[in-house]
This record gives sequence, C-alpha cells and structure tokens, in this order.
Amino acid sequence: MAVEVPEAHEVEHVPPQAPPPRRGLRRLTGAGWLRVLWVLPVSWVLATLLVIGLRAALGYEPLWEFQVLIVAWTVIVPLGFLAALGGFDYWLYWISGRPTRPEDHSGHGARTWKDYFRVNTDHKVIGIQYVVTTVFFFLAAGLMAMFMRAELARPGMQYVDTNTFNGLFSVHASLMIFLFIIPAFAGLGNYVIPLMIGAPDMAFPRLNALSFWLLPIAGLIMMSSYLVPDGGAFAAGWTNYVPLAVNQADGNLMFQMGVQWAGASSIMTALNFLVTIITMRAPGMSFWRMPLLVWANFATSTLVVLATPFVAGSQFFIMFDRVLHTNFFNPELGGDIVAYQHIFWFYSHPAVYIMMLPGFGIASEVISVFARKPIFGYRLMALSLMAILILGFSVWAHHMFVSGMQPWIRIPMMVTTLVIAVPTGIKVFSWLATLWEGRLHFATPMLFASGFVSMFVIGGLSGIYLGSVPVDIHASDTYFVVAHIHYVLFGGSLFTIFAGIYYWFPKMTGRMYDERLGKIHFWLTFVGFNVTFFPMHWVGLQGMPRRVADYAPEFGNWNLVISIASFGLGASTVVFLYNMIVSWRRGPIAPGNPWRALTLEWQVSSPPPIFNFEEIPQVVGSPYEYGTRGARHAVLNGKPAETGKAPEPVEAIHS
Amino acid sequence: MTLVGVAVGAALAIVAVFVPWLPDSASEQADIIDNVYWVVTIICVVVFAVVAGVSAYAVYKFRAPPGDTDDGSPIHGHTGLEIVWTLIPTILVTGIAVYSGVALAQAEELPADHSVIEVTGEQFAWTFTYPDVEVEGGRPLTTGELVVPIDRTIRFEITSKDVIHSFWVPEWRMKQDAVEGITTHTTVTPTQLGTFPVVCTELCGLGHALMRSRARVVSREDFDAWVREQQRLAREGGAVQGAELFAQQCGSCHVLADAGTEGEAGPNLDEALQGADAEFIMESIVNPSAEIAEGYQDGVMPANFGEMFTDPQLEGLVEYLQQATGGGAR
Repeated sequence: MAVEVPEAHEVEHVPPQAPPPRRGLRRLTGAGWLRVLWVLPVSWVLATLLVIGLRAALGYEPLWEFQVLIVAWTVIVPLGFLAALGGFDYWLYWISGRPTRPEDHSGHGARTWKDYFRVNTDHKVIGIQYVVTTVFFFLAAGLMAMFMRAELARPGMQYVDTNTFNGLFSVHASLMIFLFIIPAFAGLGNYVIPLMIGAPDMAFPRLNALSFWLLPIAGLIMMSSYLVPDGGAFAAGWTNYVPLAVNQADGNLMFQMGVQWAGASSIMTALNFLVTIITMRAPGMSFWRMPLLVWANFATSTLVVLATPFVAGSQFFIMFDRVLHTNFFNPELGGDIVAYQHIFWFYSHPAVYIMMLPGFGIASEVISVFARKPIFGYRLMALSLMAILILGFSVWAHHMFVSGMQPWIRIPMMVTTLVIAVPTGIKVFSWLATLWEGRLHFATPMLFASGFVSMFVIGGLSGIYLGSVPVDIHASDTYFVVAHIHYVLFGGSLFTIFAGIYYWFPKMTGRMYDERLGKIHFWLTFVGFNVTFFPMHWVGLQGMPRRVADYAPEFGNWNLVISIASFGLGASTVVFLYNMIVSWRRGPIAPGNPWRALTLEWQVSSPPPIFNFEEIPQVVGSPYEYGTRGARHAVLNGKPAETGKAPEPVEAIHS
Repeated sequence: MTLVGVAVGAALAIVAVFVPWLPDSASEQADIIDNVYWVVTIICVVVFAVVAGVSAYAVYKFRAPPGDTDDGSPIHGHTGLEIVWTLIPTILVTGIAVYSGVALAQAEELPADHSVIEVTGEQFAWTFTYPDVEVEGGRPLTTGELVVPIDRTIRFEITSKDVIHSFWVPEWRMKQDAVEGITTHTTVTPTQLGTFPVVCTELCGLGHALMRSRARVVSREDFDAWVREQQRLAREGGAVQGAELFAQQCGSCHVLADAGTEGEAGPNLDEALQGADAEFIMESIVNPSAEIAEGYQDGVMPANFGEMFTDPQLEGLVEYLQQATGGGAR
C-alpha cells in the first residue's frame, strides 16, 4: 500500500514575492514575448548594419555578403531573443549594480500554461519545456525520415532531387541527435534529478532556464536552413566532413551555427547537473546511495563538459575556412582534411555515450521497480558507467578505419573499442539478473525498458563487427552502419526515452496515461522498428552504400519492405501523441506513487510541490530495497516513505 | 509473449547463420575478411541467444499475476557471477581483437611482385591510371573502367581531386577513402573473373549515388589484349572508335539510339544533341557545366573526360555523336 503523500492542491503554489504587473507602454520593456516582438527585428537590423558597416569601412566587396550575414544573424538575433525574453535580466541587473533579489521566486513554477513560455527557473517546468520541445523536433526529424523512405522505396529518382535528399538526411540526423536525444535526456534528468537526490531545485536555476531557451534557437536555425536561397539545407551529413562542407552552399553555415547553440545548451545543463549532484544531495545520500539514473547523468555530464567543446571547435574551423578564408582544411595550403575527422569524432564518439548512458539510468530505474527487485550488482553497475566514460574517450578513430589516417592507430583503437563491450555487457547481464526471481509487471515503461535491453544487445553486437578492422573495411559507410546506429540510437536511446516518458508521466502531469494505448504503441514500435532496420544489415553488407538517393536495382525489393515498415513505424508515433495529449488533459488523476517505487521523486505528490519537499528528506538506505520488509530509502517529514515488502517463499513462485 | 520471444530468438539465429550475408568473394582479401566475419557472427549469435533465452525464460517464469503487490527476492548481487560475466566477454573480445589484427596484417600483405594502379576520385567519377602502360603521346593509360588481370596482387594508390570519396568493390571487400592532398593505399588480389561494381561510399555531393563504375577481372591474355586495344584506340581517332568509346564510357548514363544504350542518369542524347554542331558537342563533353539540359542537375556529369581521353579519342567521339544525332556534315 502506498504511503500517504500530500496531494498537489494541498501545497502552497503562490509565489512568495510576485512583482507588480507592468502597465501600458512599460509592458514593452518588461521581460517577455512583447519585448521579443520588437527586439527581434531591431537585433536583425543591428546585425545587418554591423556587417555592412564593417565591410564598407574596410573596403570589402560586395557589401551584402550572405555568408557573413548568416554568421552575424545567427549570433546576434538569438542573443537579442534571449535578452528580450529575460534570460539575462538578473545577471545584467547585478552587473550594472541595480537592486536584485536573490530570493526572487516570481519566475518559479507554473500556474498557467503561459508560464511554460517564459524564462522559468523551476526545474520541473524546465523539464517539461525540454521534453515537449524535443518531442516537437523528434516529429519534424521523423517526418524527414518518412520523405527519405518514400524516395528510397524504389530505385531511381522519384520525388526529390539529390540536393534535397542530402539535406533531408543531414537535417534528420542533426535534429535527432542535437535537438532530440541529447536534450530529451537532459529534460527528463532536469525533472527527476533534483527530486531523486532530495534537492529543492537545481544548483543554478537561472542558468538552467537559459540553457533550455538555447535549444529552440538551435533547432530553428537548423530547420530554417531549408529556406536559405541557392542550395537550401546543409547537405553534407551530420558529420559535415570537409572539404564537402567547405565547398557547399550557404546553408551549410546553419549547421555550424546551430551546433554552437545546442552545444552551449548541453554544456550549461551538464555543469548544472554536476554541481547539483555533487553539492545538493540530501543528508544521508552518499554516492553509493544514489539511484543509478543519477549516476548515469553524473557520467554523462562529465562526458558533455569534456567533449562538447571539440565539436564546437570543429564547426568553428569550418566556419572560419568559409567566412574568413583560413585554410585549416585546405590541403593545397597546408590544411589537413583528416584532422577534421579526428577533432569531430573526439566529440562525436563520446556523444554516442552521451546519448546512451542516461538511457542506461532510466532502464535501471524502470527494471528494478517493475521487477520488484534490487538492481543486480549496484556497485558494478555504477562503476561500469565510469569505465564507459573513461574508455569512451579512447575509441574515436574507429570511425576512421578507412579514412587514410596513419595505419597503426587502427590497432589500439580496435582494442579499446572491443574492450568497451565488457562494461556494457556487465550492464546488460545485470539487468537480466535483476529480472531473475523478480515479480515482473509489464506496464508500458517496462515493455520499453525490456525492449531496449534486447534491441540494444543487437546494436552492441553489430558494434563488435564494426570494431573489428577487417570487417569494418567492408562494412564501413554502408547500410550496415545505418542499421547499427539505429539499433543503438532508436532501439537504445529512443526506447529508453519512451520508457522514461511513460514512467514519469504521472509525476510530471499528475495524471495517468492510457495503459492500453501505451502497449499498442510499444508493439507497433517494436515490430515496425525491427522490420525497418534489421534488413538494412543485409543490404549494407551486399553493397548498398549509405547516404544515397538512388541505388542499384537489386536492392529494390528490400528497400520497398523497409519503406513500408518505416511508414508503420511513423504511424505508431500518432498513437503515442494521442495518448500523451488526451491523458494529459483528461487522464485519471495520478496518485503520488503509482508504481510503489522507493526513490524520492515518488514520495511526494504528483506533480510535486513547488519546492519539491516540505522539508529536506533524510536518506537512510539504498534506493532499491525491494523485497526486504520495512527497508526504506528515506524518511520524509518524519513519516516513513514507501518500504520494501518481503517476498513470498521462492517455492511458491516456482510451483 | 514468451512464445513470441522464443520464436523471434530462434528465427534470428537461423537468419544469422544460414543467410548469405556477404556477396560472393572475389579476392584473396575477401576470403580472409569473410573468415573474421563468420567467427564474429558465431560469437555474437551465441551471446544473443543467451540474452534472448534468459529474457524469454524470465518473462515466462517470473511474470507477476494481475494485482500482485509482493516483491521479488532481495538478491543484491553475486560476486562469482559478476566475475564470470566480466571475464568471459573480456576473453572473447581479446580473441576477436587478436584474430582481427592478424587477419588485417594478412589482408594488407604486399608481395614484392605486384602491379600498381592509381585511382583518382572526383565529383562524380573514378579515373584509373596504369603507370606501367604507355599510350599515344607518352602518357600512361587512363580509363574510366577498371580492368585488372586475375590472380595478380594490385596495389591501388588512391587520391582525390576534390572532396573525400571512397573506393570500394563489395566482392573484393577492401575499401579505402580517397582524400585530396594525400595518397592512400589498398591491396587486392582478384581471384574471380567477372564484372563487379565500383561504388563510392563516402558522401561526395549531388552525384554521390551515381558515382558507380565497373571493375572487370579478366585473364592475363585478355588483359594484354585489352591493353593493346586501348593503345590502338588512343592512337586512332574516327567515328568507329568513337562508337566503341561511347558504349564503354557514356552509355551507362545516356540514351543513344544508334549505340543502343539506355542509361537514364543524364539527358537523352538523341534529343539533347539533335542537330548540334561539333563545337557544342565538344564543349558538352569537356565542360559539362556549360549548358545543362532542362530537368537535369549541374555537377552530376564528371568533368574529367577532357583529361581522360586523348585528343584523337575526343575528336572521334564528337565525330561519332554528330553522325549518330544527325547534326552537321553527314
């Protein structure tokens, strides 16, 4: 039986110090969308005048140089937007010596839907802002995949030209990676981590608010690249290899600048997570009592902080080559083409773990709760996350076995790549052992979490093929790689994102989702996913290269099967959306702890009070003590939280 | 659901072992790589079967009845098991790494007695140069179709004139990027006669998907005969040679009724060149961007034909095209 927790309406939601509302024309100067409305065109004009003025002063022709203007616009207009929305207000007041109120909570929490559209310092509001925004970009990028599969259904060219096609897969991948998977995990983490460690909020709430608002900027820059005249969207793949990226039309700049905003957002959030996890854990919450989701985000955030500057640098160098006419990647003047790939993958391989480790955390939470068992080998689970974090920095050149780099590097990179399978294997085997002698409940989050384990194993095993240099020489840059990344990023990351969204949906919205629709969504996704991506292994090994709009006719039948399945996969998203929207509005009211979980976020109301806990909880034990009578993770408000139950005798289960 | 799990597991195992995953092997290197591939496959199928089997059994055995509110057994871990599933994967991946390293060294072994062919990638064509074969004007033989003798080790020296391309013949397995500014290498010893696709696998721009060519493996005698034929074609111009050249080099992308070719990547030349004069045809070959036929994209046709063909070859090709499309002096 669930422990009684205060319901949402019992908790004080009125902000302590609401500022007086502005009236009349003064409303135009207050932080918010009215100020955005006039600052946007003003900053656009300023950026344009700055470029034209400087070019005129320096005597450059022509004055209207589109590439330079794109750089100025994508830096200055977003800064104007952020300032107008109020992202910098507090700091600017403080810097300029005007009175500030450090304990101003007026921008904290959401009372109406409008509060989700402003700079909000409540980690719970920000978490929902993140998840909803990233789902929007997920749908946009998914739609692009549908267009691609329509073109690929038959050999030859049918609906789009090759430039459009190259743009489709480039923007699809960039949005999925930078605007969906990475920030969706950041959003779920944002909502859950302070609750899980017993903190009232993140360490830096204003930085947190700012880091969210960088995201739509990055996404809109990338998506609006379709509107760039003469050439349209960036079309050199999300890897944006030089020299192709340098030679491309102006749209390519939109990738380089978009990545900067997404990367800055990632780094800010990661720093915030690190400081929050290190300094704001509730009394009694030692590192060895942290839920594995917190461990996973600790490891991920370290990766983000150390690695993301490299992708920023790689894209800045391309931008300099294009706009400032430097020669970082121009071999005729001493530049080095392969060097780009080293810098790029020094981020982008760790990025694979940035997109995977938080999913590992979600899977650990969900599997333990729905198996009603402690997570198996907790300490080794945490340590294997740290092992992946360290090894993850030593494998980048396995993306470059055929790139023409020094041949000897291939051998150490192959060894580290294969060795990283060991900590990953430990995690998979521990999840399986957690199921053993559990009492498994297959609600939607558990379906997605167990679907994740099996699909991720396939993605991991195809990674062994690609890690072995001789096999990679054959399979590299073919559809085998497309299959592999989708088993890892769809079967791995996306399945755990779905598991996380369903798992915390009652906590975030205060309502239950429809279990039947959730199950339909899972099975449609699971089947559609496998029929879409498994045959890609075969067509790839048979000789179909990736990133082509047209292909040899012998691959026609399999591509037709893949396309049909992918449309089914796309349709499954409609079920998900319908369930989320309708349940959020009209679903049954959720209790505080519908899953009978032990971790702290479930010991408060759904949704939680504005500052999470009425008093800071006292942590007294492991978060996973299912099966031990009376064992508890924490004491809240002097009342015991949810406790473990003694299992029935094992014979009873086996009979 | 359990039955589904078991069925899926079994089906995947059968698919993994009995499906011909790889195209026919046509080189010594392919045989070596295929062995690694199958060893990895067997290990992976066993690992997957263990995971799938345990999952399916757990789902079947430990599923809670509806409304159940009890907890499972409070098992926190098992040091012995944890050591086992750390050690066994370590041994397996170490084995794969050592075997892969040895296989790589074998595949890249270069006997002293080998031939060199230079491969140049550019948007969107491959050019193959035989430095040992001299043609008209003292220049090395250069073609757009790769022809190699069987059972002789070839060292490909690969470079690019513009963006990165990647040279790959699936039946040979070996693949290597072509990068401007450096020369990369790969080694192939063809063991099967036949014609195989040459595929560009690195995204290189608008025409990437069409950047395909052919590799023809022939007997030693046929290779020598082909070399002499190329030398003769390079020496002589004229419409007859132009017709041969067209069928070899142009027909895969262009329709031309006279030559019976049916390629559709480029414009139909019966229409596009109808009544065109020699100057226009020459310009269209040497500088394909000069005028783009309606409905086609700039930058798809390779710009290297001017360099690849000798002057007599170019003149012969123009003469032939003029005749075939009814333009100029008939």
